[in-house]
Amino acid sequence: MGESNEDIDQMFSNLLGEMDLLTQSLGVDTLPPPDPKPPRAEFNYSVGFKDLNESLNALEDQDLDALMADLVADISEAEQRTIQAQKESSQNQHHAASLEVPDFSGAVALGYGANVTAVSVSQYEDDLPPPPADPMLDLPLPPPPPEPLSQEEEAAQAKADKIKLALEKLKEAKVKKLVVKVHMNDNSTKSLMVDERQLARDVLDNLFEKTHCDCNVDWCLYEIYTELQIERIFEDHENVVEVLSDWTRDTENKVLFLEKEEKYAVFKNPQNFYLDNKGKKEGKETNEKMNAKNKESLLEESFCGTSIIVPELEGALYLKEDGKKSWKRRYFLLRASGIYYVPKGKTKTSRDLACFIQFENVNIYYGIQCKMKYKAPTDYCFVLKHPQIQKESQYIKYLCCDDARTLNQWVMGIRIAKYGKTLYDNYQRAMERAGLASRWSNLGTVNAAPPAPSSTGLKTGTTQANGQIPQAAHSVSAVLEEAQRHAETTQDKRPVLGNHHPGAPRAPQLPKSSLPPPPPVRRSSDVCGSPATVPRAKGLSGGFPAAKPPPAGVKRAPVPPKRKENLGPPSGGGSGEQDFMSDLMKALQKKRGNMS
Amino acid sequence: MAGMKTATGDYIDSSWELRVFVGEDDPEAESVTLRVTGESHIGGVLLKIVEEIKRKQDWSDHAIWWEQKRQWLLQTHWTLDKYGLLADARLFFGPQHRPIILRLPNRRALRLRASFSQPLFQAVASICRLLSIRHPEELSLLRAPEKKEKKKKEKEPEEELFDLTKVVLAGGVAPALFRGMPAHFSDSAQTEACYHMLSRPQPPPDPLLLQRLPRPSSLLDKTQLHSRWLDSSRCLMQQGIKAGDMLWLRFKYYSFFDLDPKTDPVRLTQLYEQARWDLLLEETDCTEEEMMVFAALQYHINKLSQSGEAGEPTGTDPGLDDLDAALNNLEVKLEGSASTDVLDNLTTIPELKDHLRIFRPRKLTLKGYRQHWVVFKETNLSYYKSQDEAPGDPIQQLNLKGCEVVPDVNVSGQKFCIKLLVPSPEGMSEIHLRCQDENQYAHWMAGCRLASKGRTMADSSYASEVQAILAFLSLQRTGGGGSGNHPQGPDASAEGLNPYGLVAPRFQRKFKAKQLTPRILEAHQNVAQLSLSEAQLRFIQAWQSLPDFGISYVVVRFKGSRKDEILGIANNRLIRIDLAVGDVVKTWRFSNMRQWNVNWDIRQVAIEFDEHINVAFSCMSASCRIVHEYIGGYIFLSTRERARGEELDEDLFLQLTGGHEAF
Repeated sequence: MGESNEDIDQMFSNLLGEMDLLTQSLGVDTLPPPDPKPPRAEFNYSVGFKDLNESLNALEDQDLDALMADLVADISEAEQRTIQAQKESSQNQHHAASLEVPDFSGAVALGYGANVTAVSVSQYEDDLPPPPADPMLDLPLPPPPPEPLSQEEEAAQAKADKIKLALEKLKEAKVKKLVVKVHMNDNSTKSLMVDERQLARDVLDNLFEKTHCDCNVDWCLYEIYTELQIERIFEDHENVVEVLSDWTRDTENKVLFLEKEEKYAVFKNPQNFYLDNKGKKEGKETNEKMNAKNKESLLEESFCGTSIIVPELEGALYLKEDGKKSWKRRYFLLRASGIYYVPKGKTKTSRDLACFIQFENVNIYYGIQCKMKYKAPTDYCFVLKHPQIQKESQYIKYLCCDDARTLNQWVMGIRIAKYGKTLYDNYQRAMERAGLASRWSNLGTVNAAPPAPSSTGLKTGTTQANGQIPQAAHSVSAVLEEAQRHAETTQDKRPVLGNHHPGAPRAPQLPKSSLPPPPPVRRSSDVCGSPATVPRAKGLSGGFPAAKPPPAGVKRAPVPPKRKENLGPPSGGGSGEQDFMSDLMKALQKKRGNMS
Repeated sequence: MAGMKTATGDYIDSSWELRVFVGEDDPEAESVTLRVTGESHIGGVLLKIVEEIKRKQDWSDHAIWWEQKRQWLLQTHWTLDKYGLLADARLFFGPQHRPIILRLPNRRALRLRASFSQPLFQAVASICRLLSIRHPEELSLLRAPEKKEKKKKEKEPEEELFDLTKVVLAGGVAPALFRGMPAHFSDSAQTEACYHMLSRPQPPPDPLLLQRLPRPSSLLDKTQLHSRWLDSSRCLMQQGIKAGDMLWLRFKYYSFFDLDPKTDPVRLTQLYEQARWDLLLEETDCTEEEMMVFAALQYHINKLSQSGEAGEPTGTDPGLDDLDAALNNLEVKLEGSASTDVLDNLTTIPELKDHLRIFRPRKLTLKGYRQHWVVFKETNLSYYKSQDEAPGDPIQQLNLKGCEVVPDVNVSGQKFCIKLLVPSPEGMSEIHLRCQDENQYAHWMAGCRLASKGRTMADSSYASEVQAILAFLSLQRTGGGGSGNHPQGPDASAEGLNPYGLVAPRFQRKFKAKQLTPRILEAHQNVAQLSLSEAQLRFIQAWQSLPDFGISYVVVRFKGSRKDEILGIANNRLIRIDLAVGDVVKTWRFSNMRQWNVNWDIRQVAIEFDEHINVAFSCMSASCRIVHEYIGGYIFLSTRERARGEELDEDLFLQLTGGHEAF
């Protein structure tokens, strides 16, 4: 009896930890409210605009509420000032935007006319200043007004807030924004507003919200230089506006949103990059055998030490000679400090090496169809160039590998040397995001059908892993692993959809009491509620320490089902979650029985 | 009790006489003779010896050393029989802690008392505690090379020898901090100086000395060092070390756990010093470009540690690092919000306008420098034919953001050039600016550098950048510029930049000082903002990312092979290397290792890896104990991540690295 209570409590705290996690990350991408289905007639750009405001003002919305309350209470001089300031700000905005039009509409939003910008600006004006209705319209339910602010706060505080708000608006108005047309993999495009503070990660999160894709780690922003026939994955930490600002006005360059398994290939199969025996068969075999634990320790060794380890990479590559169409074979070596080559008649000892290029001022691109364009020996080319160079130039370096494997090793090796630990951090964030998404979808499934469907019907190898997840150590890596498995298998699983039996009985051998729930990635002290379970939890375990006001939950409620539709079957990674959920339900029922 | 006699003086019990020398193993030493039986306990014997000596003294550190068996009799409750000790035993009653001279990673010598009776592992641990170096398991002691000793004889007496023999550490707790240093260092001015020596980087070595010091010319030479490691499971006494001997303290295992600039000033500094000497003496090879970065970091570190001497306990003051962090934050903020700052509009944007001579290198052109009116505003450089045309369109405007800035300066030749490689959509365009004097150069150069990072001259760092450039120029006048003519001469001014002390000797031969100086200064640009501890850490990281980093070489002969080969031992793998060519033949990772065995009789190490891969080799250049210890040691170090925060598991270490006593 006591034990079962403890079970429940423990599970709840775990669950809440996860909810916390979810809400936290939603806080990070600052796009909590699912779009309330904008009228289809509306232009894409306006959607982008709205989201932009939301995303930028996630906090300010609340400020805005407070401000509104104040406005209703008394119309003060300060308020006038605020309005004044905001007017100024929108004027500034208008000004700034119209200044920017020639630069960026051409650069990024292809065929994006100045008049359109003007429209969007005017809309911006409509949207931003504090007509009370604005946030109400935007959100399905208004957030609860921050209780103490409206009545008890002193006037000074309110004034300070307003000034702060005004300043922020002013600042906001000066933030450079681009309308970016992103090409989706189904040949459609989406336009979205990207402000200069947003990283590729933020834009990806934004796109996840818009497309309801499965959010796996392979999704990336991808830039294509049509003219130069080179392309590259945006690194998640890169500032999108900064990169796009290098494009010329009449550019044909494109931004794509697509899945590229090369993006984080090194973290999925580090052995292919770190333990590759230069294509020897023996090496290949062992590679495939490497288990998750060894991968993890290899990654830890390579990325978590005092300094990261750049894969040892060397071999003969073809180098396109400056300004010519001839290719010269040279022996190249990758080091943390750059790419080196062995000069004629020298050995490959460190002291003899000549520096070919250092990575500080160059980006790495894949070369496309270099065989045709530059008479390259193969089509496996990579290109190094200063990000600002947009036209053919002798300062662009073309290198050509013998095969795709080598190419991928070099490109990844250079990215590791250039970005170092940042790459790993990016990956972990992406994993968190992906894990989160799969959790969401699974939670949604469970809520819809309380007797948790088991994934034992899935015949893929990963189902065995289900047993492992709950037993796994409470560490970040476990979650990553889980999410990784998810990421790796989602695609394989799609076709398996038919084999999935939702009604199949749950594996019985899972011990209920000793089962450690799947570990949350990070837990912070404040606890948040979940959309579906919190009300229930409140009703049941009355003394529950900190449940969040329900509106937060309701606000987000629409998300999971939506995701579910788009996601396909729950993955192997997520099924651990289901077991956990059903365990929770069981324990709840048990407790209910005990109490009554 | 032993020694019962009859009236005639004959002993009637089974007692016998035991002679014990007092002092260290000096045969001339005074001796006492005791009457003991086989049942006598060591404790009792000790008591008797002290009684016999009849001298008042603290004997607590003394114990009996059995010379023939090379063993300390430390178990006071054991009987002589149990030890198997008979009357012919040569015993010495001496102190367990004796002074040794320690050559630290920074090449300075230090006299301190080390335990001669504990296993070396513990002795090193207590030395490290005294020196306040965390993670002593990464360090060990080496015998000093003999030849070197002879050569150095003449220099030895001049050397300043720090003395910590009188310092006593309270056992157990970690030493408390007092005045920015562990309390036991703050006792006297002498010990304080010693702490500074430990925790602050040393100035660059004399280039002449650097050239004289032995450097490995081949892989074979690199194996020499590793034959000198002491055995960590036996005590110093057992390994033939005598009081007053010189030993080297070095980081032995290249797996540095939890390096923390705040808590590890001594460890960080000593590690930096070891890395620096490793590179200067070409133990680890690097490329030219890498060497320039190392040199720039050394220069920067030296500059900081010299200028920071005034009361700043480097790295130990947490407030300082916080301040650094705060300043950095501020800088980031300024950088980040440079264009969004509300006040931006209110402040005038500083600009530079002047007559400069410009040269644009192009193919097939004979044009030289030409005078232009140049305006530098924000990150844009525009030039006009003359000042009158300035309001109109410039001949060319360049945005310097992301450009490469290369100084081309010769102070004695009064040449102050800035080479710019400016990216544009069409490619890179090269432009050279020639300034008239130092002052003009410093201002424009600082502007270019900031602009290349996307900052304007409104940036807070502009003024300091100008000052730094001026300082460099004056350095070149006194230091590097002058020594270009006398490359061998040691630098007269301590502050001047003598590039030869910062690079490995092969670069001394390859480049003139005046060629090196600008390259080092160019590399310095990128590290100039680092604090002392950050710079040290950066140095260590760059060292760690060298492909040849952290490999200990041993000459071995693989089973079934007739020729000598090299075995490289790194923190995660074993590498089989061709002795003649230096190529890697095969790599085995520790993570795939099942077990390893040592056959002490035939001195062979046998290792089994996953998938039934078996490797066996005998060790030629070092004893197989050293190889065994290296492997076991790295395995032990790899367990630390899991046992984070726990006490050092000494037993496990000895279990993994010891074991040969049994045979």
